[in-house]
Amino acid sequence: MLDVPQAADRAARGNRLAAAALVFWAVAVVTGFGMLWRYKATAATQADEPPLSWPSASALARTPGRPTLVLFVHPHCGCSQATVTELARLLGRVRGPLDVRVAVVRPVGVEAGWDDTALVGRAEAIPGVTVVRDADGIEAARFAGHASGFTVVYGADGRRLFAGGLTSSRGHEGESFGSRRIVSLLETGLADRGDAPTFGCALASTAVAREEGTE
Amino acid sequence: MSDVMTEAAAQAIVERADQRFQRSRRDLWVSMDRLFAALMAGQWVFGLVLALTVSPWAWAGRERSVNPHVLAALGIGTLLSAMPIALAFLRPGWVVTRHVVAVAQMLWSALLVHLTGGRIETHFHVFGSLGFLAGYRDWPVLVTATVVVATEHFVRGLVWPESIYGIVNPEWWRFLEHAFWVVFAVSFLAVLCRRGMREMQTLAENGAELEALAEGEWRKSSVVTRAAS
Repeated sequence: MLDVPQAADRAARGNRLAAAALVFWAVAVVTGFGMLWRYKATAATQADEPPLSWPSASALARTPGRPTLVLFVHPHCGCSQATVTELARLLGRVRGPLDVRVAVVRPVGVEAGWDDTALVGRAEAIPGVTVVRDADGIEAARFAGHASGFTVVYGADGRRLFAGGLTSSRGHEGESFGSRRIVSLLETGLADRGDAPTFGCALASTAVAREEGTE
Repeated sequence: MSDVMTEAAAQAIVERADQRFQRSRRDLWVSMDRLFAALMAGQWVFGLVLALTVSPWAWAGRERSVNPHVLAALGIGTLLSAMPIALAFLRPGWVVTRHVVAVAQMLWSALLVHLTGGRIETHFHVFGSLGFLAGYRDWPVLVTATVVVATEHFVRGLVWPESIYGIVNPEWWRFLEHAFWVVFAVSFLAVLCRRGMREMQTLAENGAELEALAEGEWRKSSVVTRAAS
């Protein structure tokens, strides 16, 4: 049986221990969220300048006289779910004509059906969107796209209006610079900038990216 | 003499009422702590399942690695749930326990919003959580929850505004607009908390009076009647 001073001493020790644990916990939680925010806010490196005019070598269809939007996605990129959602929202805000292509990058050597994912299905379900396969990311390379979610918009005259992403951070829905600028450019021909950071998985494998200097 | 006895009896009832109130209030807080411990465990499982379902892998061409979202759900999720669960069992009913629960619960909202890619629907978790926290009937807990939401928005609005507002230079007070709706819900819930506490107090007083009356009757009864009952 403890006497009163002993019990009080024990209680005080317990409180000090609890306070120390709570401080440690608070620091760990803040650090964890800080790391998560940092990861989500880190955009993909845009090593090359996307072509200023629609590349003549491109196999992607473009109707002269109509603006064209091309979105490159990795079929398994979880972050690009938000991009596809934002694409659907964006198309709801654009009133004028716009051809939309979603190019699904398919690396060589993958088995059949590797790129038949829910993400691709969602893109196909958006009215007015044409989904095409981009074998080995050849088209993505032509447009200097390195990350899933990379979007280019070319005007009716074939000149580049926009290059970048549609989300404000990695895999995060909501308003973004990219969507705002695209809508503004298509509706008024004006925007503060013609780019935005791209957040998404790398379209090429690490070895390929290293060779190309995009990693 | 009779007045003195009446006053003493009344004082005894007041003390008994206060004891009953303290006991039932502590029982409520302890049971809420335990309930939140279960919720914390459930949210941990849910967060992990969500991360593993929505975006289990980060890709680079054909290569894949574990998505940092999974690590966040595991690491931050474990941190957020572990402390309230530990306190719920080691220090149930302690004032700090329920404030830690409030902090953890609101940060769970933030984590789930991240894990679901900022889906607007996930933001409802904030308001659901405020309703749950009101179960403590302790309004300062709701203030702690509000401060956590406002601080998270304020800090994120300062360092990374586009993640909340979609624009890079929002007005400095924009976090207040978001916090306002939390305050709107909390102000009403706080009134209900105080009302709930007052009802508990009334119940305790009524119980104490009934108990005293029953004991008085018992004392007045004969030994034979007591033996028969």
